[in-house]
Amino acid sequence: MNSLKSFLKRDGWMLFIFIGLLAFPFIVATLTGSSPTGVPRGDRMIMRGESVRWQAVLIEVFILSLLAMSYNLLFGFTGVVSFGHALFFGLSGYIFGILLEYTALDTGLATGLGIVLGIAASGLLGLGIGLATLRLKGVYFAIFTLALAEMAYIFFSRLQLTKAEDGFAIGELPVWLDPTQSRLTFYYITLAVFVVGFLLLRRLMASPTGAVFKAIRENEDRAQSIGFNTLRFKLLSLVIAGMMAGAAGILQVMLNKKVGPEMLGLTYTIDPLLMTIIGGTGTLLGPVIGAAGLHLLDVGLRDQVIALGGASIRIADVWGLILGAIFILVVMVFPYGIVGTYQRWRLKRQHRGDPASAATSRAARRQSG
Amino acid sequence: MTEPLLEGRQLRKAFGGLVAVDEVSLQIAPGSAHSIIGPNGAGKTTLFNLLSGRYRPTSGTVWFKGRNITKLPVYQRAHIGMGRSFQITNLFPQLTVLENVRLAVQAKGNDSFRLLRRVDTFTAPIEKALEVLELVGLRESAALPASVLPHGGKRKLELAILLAGDPEILLLDEPTAGMASEQVPELMATIDRVRRDGGQTIVLVEHNMNVVMSISDRITVMHLGRLLAEGTPTEIAGNTLVQDVYLGQLYDLSAGETPQS
Repeated sequence: MNSLKSFLKRDGWMLFIFIGLLAFPFIVATLTGSSPTGVPRGDRMIMRGESVRWQAVLIEVFILSLLAMSYNLLFGFTGVVSFGHALFFGLSGYIFGILLEYTALDTGLATGLGIVLGIAASGLLGLGIGLATLRLKGVYFAIFTLALAEMAYIFFSRLQLTKAEDGFAIGELPVWLDPTQSRLTFYYITLAVFVVGFLLLRRLMASPTGAVFKAIRENEDRAQSIGFNTLRFKLLSLVIAGMMAGAAGILQVMLNKKVGPEMLGLTYTIDPLLMTIIGGTGTLLGPVIGAAGLHLLDVGLRDQVIALGGASIRIADVWGLILGAIFILVVMVFPYGIVGTYQRWRLKRQHRGDPASAATSRAARRQSG
Repeated sequence: MTEPLLEGRQLRKAFGGLVAVDEVSLQIAPGSAHSIIGPNGAGKTTLFNLLSGRYRPTSGTVWFKGRNITKLPVYQRAHIGMGRSFQITNLFPQLTVLENVRLAVQAKGNDSFRLLRRVDTFTAPIEKALEVLELVGLRESAALPASVLPHGGKRKLELAILLAGDPEILLLDEPTAGMASEQVPELMATIDRVRRDGGQTIVLVEHNMNVVMSISDRITVMHLGRLLAEGTPTEIAGNTLVQDVYLGQLYDLSAGETPQS
């Protein structure tokens, strides 16, 4: 009983949000008078109505959250800066798509195999990149991963087999999984993958292994001198992050039923980076809040038009500019990201009134300032 | 003489054209407190880094308990019983004081690849870490982030991290660097106490002559990358060569004075 009580006190609000997300398609459906499963036409379903539209938006939030969380594992928790995160995202997407479209395998088998191979390949890619380059320090590793991702981008942009720049569409997915047929099921699947990913990451960061990741971020030299083979831990972090990003890539391909070189582009490296920094680097919730905030803003503003004198500007055309402005603003107001700054503020409040710890938080301010 | 615990044989380290350490051999006897001193630029920190494994020697070898460890990576040295401290405070600044020490305990064990078990269910390392914090007098600060400790506290934490790994030999690179002079005796008393309790061997690079003279069994004096003299504190204090090149101008050893730097 007591442990349930303390669980609810600590994590109750997360449970609350989770239940809210479970009910979300039905809440929107009730509020807008639409169907959570779309509109039937013959023996097919047409994805029309507010509920299915918003399900798609949240599915994208879950996918981007996974991607940002995996970026944060490397960057925020282990201190490894990669500029090639799109590589994992796109590569597993391509592997999944190729198995479905370019092999004679039965759709169900191709889907299962594609998921397993795509995620495994992302992990192996992480291992390979790590073995080849993690001995490089900081910025050199970042540049190397950037170069690798750009090479993959150019390669798949030119590869005629996979329709070069246009990419290729996925004709058929198992019906129960297909977001154009069973979006509600797909919504719950992505929600489940996201929640499991979040909980696993949280447990990992509370484990002895996670403790070593943080030690490496704080001071790799020292972590070595007390006896940790830091290369091995950085490899592990890279493999786990790669597999998480790979899973996100596969979900993205399922959602859009399309694979293209844009999945390997800089956007899918920069976006998770921005989401992580805005939400709070090295915090568990930060990347999720960053992903949800940025994506919902994007969706909400995408079709808005602002009239400026005689000219009218579509927000979608200047989204990059707006993203930049948001980034600058958030970084100035929340120097540790939204979650990180909130955590520091709360820590300081807890210590108020106790002179010894007041001195501590003053010192903490000095340190951070 | 008993077999040395740590030994450098004809160690030489060149940075480009600059030879920082030139054919230096030295033996650290088990259980001794051995200081390396010398004027600035004498190569003592380089020698220290050769012994601790941070630098690979250009030529020459390093031996620990009769084993050639010249090419042994830094992280493995912690596992065979070598612990080193750093001249510049070198902590995990955003982690708590307890976590700084607990990590060092964890590093010696086999639980670092337990990905899915909570760290607070491993109670033995936490208890060990708290014991070590008690020993150096930081127990009350266990929950604070390391970055907010005063400088003296950071130096103590540095020592605690080192002790948490149960090293047979402590390589201390200027443990009192940057400390207010009134705090120095306390830290040195702690080091001395630890050594008497645990029987560790100590290699010390230090500027503070009071510290060197009071704690050392043996002193190695370096000058221009070479070994100038070696002996007991009394022998070194009475060595005219040493006084000429180094001590004479700045220190009066018989009076045991510390220079103002």
